[in-house]
Amino acid sequence: MKETQEKTSKPADPLEPFRAMRDAYLDAMAKTVVEAVNTEGYAQATGALLDGYLTASGPWREAVEKSMLQALQQFSLPSRQEVAALAERFTNMEMRLDDMDAKLDVIHRLLHPDGTAANSEADERTEPHTSPTRTAGARATAPGNRRTAGRRFVRRGKGPTQR
Amino acid sequence: MESSVVALDTHLDFARRLRTFTHVLTTKAPIAQTPKELIWALNKAKLYRYTPVVPVEKRYPVPLLLVFAIMNRPSILDLRPGHSFVEFMLGRGYDVYLLDWGVPGYEDRHLQLDDYALEYLPRAIRKVKAASGSQAFSMLGWCIGAILTTIYAAMRSNDGLRNLLLLTAPLDFSDRNSITFARWTDERYFNVDSILSAFGNMPGELIDRGAKALKPVENYITNYCKLWDNLDDPQTLEAWHAMNTWVTDNIPMAGGAYRQLIVELYRNNRLMKNELVVRGERADLGKIRANLLTVIAADDHITPPCQSETILSKVASRDKELYRIPGGHIGMMAGSAAPRTTWPHINAWLSARSQ
Repeated sequence: MKETQEKTSKPADPLEPFRAMRDAYLDAMAKTVVEAVNTEGYAQATGALLDGYLTASGPWREAVEKSMLQALQQFSLPSRQEVAALAERFTNMEMRLDDMDAKLDVIHRLLHPDGTAANSEADERTEPHTSPTRTAGARATAPGNRRTAGRRFVRRGKGPTQR
Repeated sequence: MESSVVALDTHLDFARRLRTFTHVLTTKAPIAQTPKELIWALNKAKLYRYTPVVPVEKRYPVPLLLVFAIMNRPSILDLRPGHSFVEFMLGRGYDVYLLDWGVPGYEDRHLQLDDYALEYLPRAIRKVKAASGSQAFSMLGWCIGAILTTIYAAMRSNDGLRNLLLLTAPLDFSDRNSITFARWTDERYFNVDSILSAFGNMPGELIDRGAKALKPVENYITNYCKLWDNLDDPQTLEAWHAMNTWVTDNIPMAGGAYRQLIVELYRNNRLMKNELVVRGERADLGKIRANLLTVIAADDHITPPCQSETILSKVASRDKELYRIPGGHIGMMAGSAAPRTTWPHINAWLSARSQ
């Protein structure tokens, strides 16, 4: 009864009469278009379009890169390639640190064959969280050791869609 | 007089609907809200451990690692409170971990599937084992994440992987007529090297356009009509907003991995033929012995079912199951029916194998 009342009090939608017609039209169009995109002709056309764009934009892109490189050199700033190379070196260092972390884990296991060391990171398994807004834990952090970082990522935003 | 009041009402209602419509399209919904802790990071990759909600004595001892695709955010697994796969699994007593590959930068353009599957994934798994205190673990791979987990499972079969769950896994590329992407990326039409030499990585916008172009009418028109039609339904609106937030958050795909995906998999189907060479070693699917659940979405247009079915005949696993459900590539895990269909089935399958 209540639902019926709500339905009747709902403001009129000017598009309502056209909805069924629109849906039928869209369904038919969707089927036709799906068939069209699944053809060799479409694949060929999109490939040609992409190739055309890349070919046309290539010289402009190269010119921008070249002038940017010159400008950066003028200002004694590193180029994109140099920054990328630096980032790659950082990643390699991170990997070395991770390797060391793995070796430390092995040493811990050998020193504590009963498993206490291996389970040291699992300590928090004993305490289930009760509040969705648990605050950041503050465990000691060794440089480069992500294991003990203990950072928590809890979003507290009360957006319109939050329960 | 009465007709002018009705006209004004209609006008005001239309303006209100338009405001809501614009708001939903131009704002981001709060997604990925489940509390978690960063326990490991390497380059852009981050491993999170979700805060357990079940006491340790009632928890399954085998942890679950979630691995999503490398060209989308993994927040789809934890979409919104009350509709989150992560939240669902935590509530049923799993120790849940998520590997977020992050956003590759220009400096990561050389990263390959090899690096993801055999450099990052094993390291993350080591941390999962250390954090959980369990040497056995379960791994769920979705989409490209399923390719990575399959490669890992084939090449590190003695590493403690007990349960492997593959969701809409694009593994078999032999039926090229059924795979639209395979047609589009054919070497006659698509020059992968020219794109990568121009951009370094495959831009997220291009990947998104490609995915949407598979069903352009649905993605560019019907989807927005559905939103308009449901502006007065808060639940549908919330779901639409959250999904749109995820869909529009595109990230690029590392150039090396994209090239491998197109050349080695889409064009030459090397993984399914057991010919894929990763770090100088052949990935042999016959070496996969973990319990295997393959989930297929019957209406998946991105990864048609034919791409995920044949894996079962290739692996050495004794315990294997194919679960086919209605739905699309993303909808089968994030759609409104998922909490009643896909999630309970995954839980039922995994719970029996996680003791």
